[in-house]
Amino acid sequence: MSHRVPGYHGSYLRIDLTTGSSKRIVLDESLLRRSLGGSGLGVDILLREGAAEVDSLSDGAVLAFVFSPLVGSPLTTSAKFAVVSKSPLTQRINDSLASSGFALAGKKTGHDAIVLRGKAKQPSILVIDDDVVTVEPAGELWGLTNRAAEDRLRQRIGADYQVATIGPAGERLVRFATISHDGRHAGRGGSGAVLGAKNIKAIAVRGSQRVEWAHSKDLVELAKRLSEKSFGPATAKYRELGTATNLLAFNRLNVLPTRNFQQGNFAGAAAISPEQLSVARERTRSSCAACTIGCEHLYGLRNGEGKVRLEYENLFALGPLCAIDDPETVLSACQLCDELGLDTISAGGTIAFAMECAERGYIDEPWLRFGDGAALMRALELIVNGQGIGRLMAEGSRRMALEIGRDSIAFAPQVKGLEIPGYDPRGLQTMALGFAVGTRGADHNRSGAYEVDFSEAVDRRNAGPECVPLAIETENKAALMDSLILCKFLRGVFSDFYAEAAEMLRLVTGWDITADELRATAARIVTAKKRFNILAGWTPAEDTLPDRILHEALPEDARAQLSPERLATLVHAYNCARGWTADGYLVNEIE
Amino acid sequence: MQIPVELFGIPRARAGVAQTAAVGSNLGDVLADLARKFPPLAETCIDGRSLRPGFIVNLCAERFVTSPETPLSEGDTVLLLSLDAGG
Repeated sequence: MSHRVPGYHGSYLRIDLTTGSSKRIVLDESLLRRSLGGSGLGVDILLREGAAEVDSLSDGAVLAFVFSPLVGSPLTTSAKFAVVSKSPLTQRINDSLASSGFALAGKKTGHDAIVLRGKAKQPSILVIDDDVVTVEPAGELWGLTNRAAEDRLRQRIGADYQVATIGPAGERLVRFATISHDGRHAGRGGSGAVLGAKNIKAIAVRGSQRVEWAHSKDLVELAKRLSEKSFGPATAKYRELGTATNLLAFNRLNVLPTRNFQQGNFAGAAAISPEQLSVARERTRSSCAACTIGCEHLYGLRNGEGKVRLEYENLFALGPLCAIDDPETVLSACQLCDELGLDTISAGGTIAFAMECAERGYIDEPWLRFGDGAALMRALELIVNGQGIGRLMAEGSRRMALEIGRDSIAFAPQVKGLEIPGYDPRGLQTMALGFAVGTRGADHNRSGAYEVDFSEAVDRRNAGPECVPLAIETENKAALMDSLILCKFLRGVFSDFYAEAAEMLRLVTGWDITADELRATAARIVTAKKRFNILAGWTPAEDTLPDRILHEALPEDARAQLSPERLATLVHAYNCARGWTADGYLVNEIE
Repeated sequence: MQIPVELFGIPRARAGVAQTAAVGSNLGDVLADLARKFPPLAETCIDGRSLRPGFIVNLCAERFVTSPETPLSEGDTVLLLSLDAGG
């Protein structure tokens, strides 16, 4: 019997959905220490399972729900899990995170990860009760929205199960379908389609197996101090206003992507801003399990049909990006995406792209116009039911552009196939670098480089080599937070993040771990993701931005220009600073 | 010199206004004047003539600054916002 590291179970559960069999796979301590949990551990498990070379929607595809050593601890925001797979949108690594009871219950099944392979013979649900695994027919659950499916399944098998579901989008293999739990989503990259391709509508978990903490008393004390700090000014924005309050500031700085990145300023921003919505409608707050920040702000719909979680990203993508300035439409679109299981950024990005194609006459869809709220709602429905232009839109903007042809790929708002979030790269050029090199594509959660642009350290509209180490630092920090796992909204409360994270890990695991070791671990996790991508067919040509971004200045800000030559210089400098070749290939195998 | 000031996020919520004006020839003077006019800003965003951690100023939607000695000129606009841009 091997030594079990506190905080871990020391194994993952591999389930073959084709046969219904399952097997416990031991994770040795050295691997756990190198990859920690969440995204880091998930990537290493996928590499071990040979997932990089397999098509993301094939029977051989691998999907991992990964927990972490901190899950279940008293540390605030630690009730999180990562969903890691190859993305059907990018065919590259995809790690998306979600929160709450599923993480707690999933870890209590007695495993550090649950890994799915194969494909169920019919639409099914997967039930994991400690070590007992059953695959049952989904029956009436198939076709239901996320919330309805979750509620119905818990009625069927018991309210003490925690459930993750896919919506109709995942069932129909929309390439940007999400996996949902308790109204939150592992959102980006299409993990919902991977689960749908395996014929799994929902996963229910329940368990009784707890882990020990190496230094319980000190951990509780540290958790108390961290919770107290989490009530302070560093999180006030999230707590009091929510992320949606970025909208007006970004608009003022001309970096709010509008009309499919044709503009950086939206005249209708004030009408849909949270400041205005708070005046006109009921607003309530909510939080994930084991979180003391409480960033979620829910706004009531006028039709009385519930409340909608509003964040900056769904607001920007279903508002300015599609030139929608009607708040009821934006909220309704957000709600529809939640119910159907669509990533709002990719949905908004793909629809905005389709609107521009229609405007240019590249597709014969005259109804699909910027600013038309009814068109936005219709487009969302078509994406999920696969009718008409919806069949193409369900593929995401890159595949859609490749099918439409002409010069449309130049204005498809994506990197590696993943639609760009709400930061115009021309006006935020450290973020531009982060988007270009991101292993899962354009992503603000895997690179926090916008923080650098919002500082005196760089000229955000003319970034030079000084931005490279700063961009790397934000990417490393994100990789560590996604592997521990802790919420990124906590990042402002740390005065020395690596040292404080090392102390958390020491108290949980007993490892005598240092800040320097964690820095190296974070960089290793980024490199492991790169390794996955290289095995999956990555080439240096992918680390770039759409032609529109590299050849058109923002109309509101002529200085906001980023040439392809300057971006290429930054990418090469990034690769060299990572210790890779200038093109971005690895010099050495990862440990 | 009167400097137009625009507030976003928490600064706006604390001051209760989206726009105002403050007197000063450098950033520190303007921040101190803002804190006098809107005491809740002094509790969260401004400490004397400086910004508290978590807040930053942008001049004219161009460049970010923090130093109280940053000179201001006629025609400048101060944008006061939360440092944490993400979401």
